[in-house]
Amino acid sequence: MSDAAQLTSGLRRGTLEFCVLAMVERDAVYGTEIVRRLGEERSLATTEGTIYPMLSRLRRVGWLDSKWSESPTGPPRRYYSLTDDGRAALGRFRAEWVSFRQTVDRLVGTGEA
Amino acid sequence: MNVQKTDLVGEYLREIELRLSGLPLLQRRELLADLEAHIETARQHGAYSESELIEVLQRLGTPEEVAAAAYWEAGPQPPRPTYTPAPEPRSGVPAWVIGAIAGFVMLFLIGVAGLVMFARVDGESAPEPLRIEAPVAPPAIDAPAAPAPEPTE
Repeated sequence: MSDAAQLTSGLRRGTLEFCVLAMVERDAVYGTEIVRRLGEERSLATTEGTIYPMLSRLRRVGWLDSKWSESPTGPPRRYYSLTDDGRAALGRFRAEWVSFRQTVDRLVGTGEA
Repeated sequence: MNVQKTDLVGEYLREIELRLSGLPLLQRRELLADLEAHIETARQHGAYSESELIEVLQRLGTPEEVAAAAYWEAGPQPPRPTYTPAPEPRSGVPAWVIGAIAGFVMLFLIGVAGLVMFARVDGESAPEPLRIEAPVAPPAIDAPAAPAPEPTE
């Protein structure tokens, strides 16, 4: 069990942030909604509270922008959107990911027969 | 009911805050505000009972998990500056104790010195070492004066 969890967290480490960038690629999304959507993906096995520090880092490195906005139903929401640098980083990841995935598939034997 | 919920959430956030002391102030505040807004939003969406609230907190993760992620994302640099102020309050507390002990030690030494002085005067033992030192000193001075014979030409 712990081996599986360790494997998942290792795989997640370098890729989850790009899932977040892609999530806000078109429209700004507020933090709790980003966390909720990632939490729904079972195979990511996300601990929701660990996403906020990641959003903070992505904002500090300049890939995400954030703006507070009043909510009609609850506390103010913090909306995240993609910066130009974030868009470029996402583009690089997409190109890298395809060749990376193909290589791993070939070496591990998980590619199409 | 409301008081219990607030206690639960407050305790949870406090447990996290305690573990974030190595992070820069603004990062710490930011994370706590994000978590607080997350919990408040969950409440607005129907997490009314304490058991529902516990479930919300469980999905957020244990204070250890959240704090570990915060340190991981913050990188290796930040922890240093906040460690230095920590020792200050410790040294402040025993300062008067050290002063009092130093005072007692000083008084004790003065007392002992006084007793020794009186003892020497009363026993008339002081003159003896002076007589011994006097004859010993002259030969010591003569020895280095050996090269003096040179100018006898």
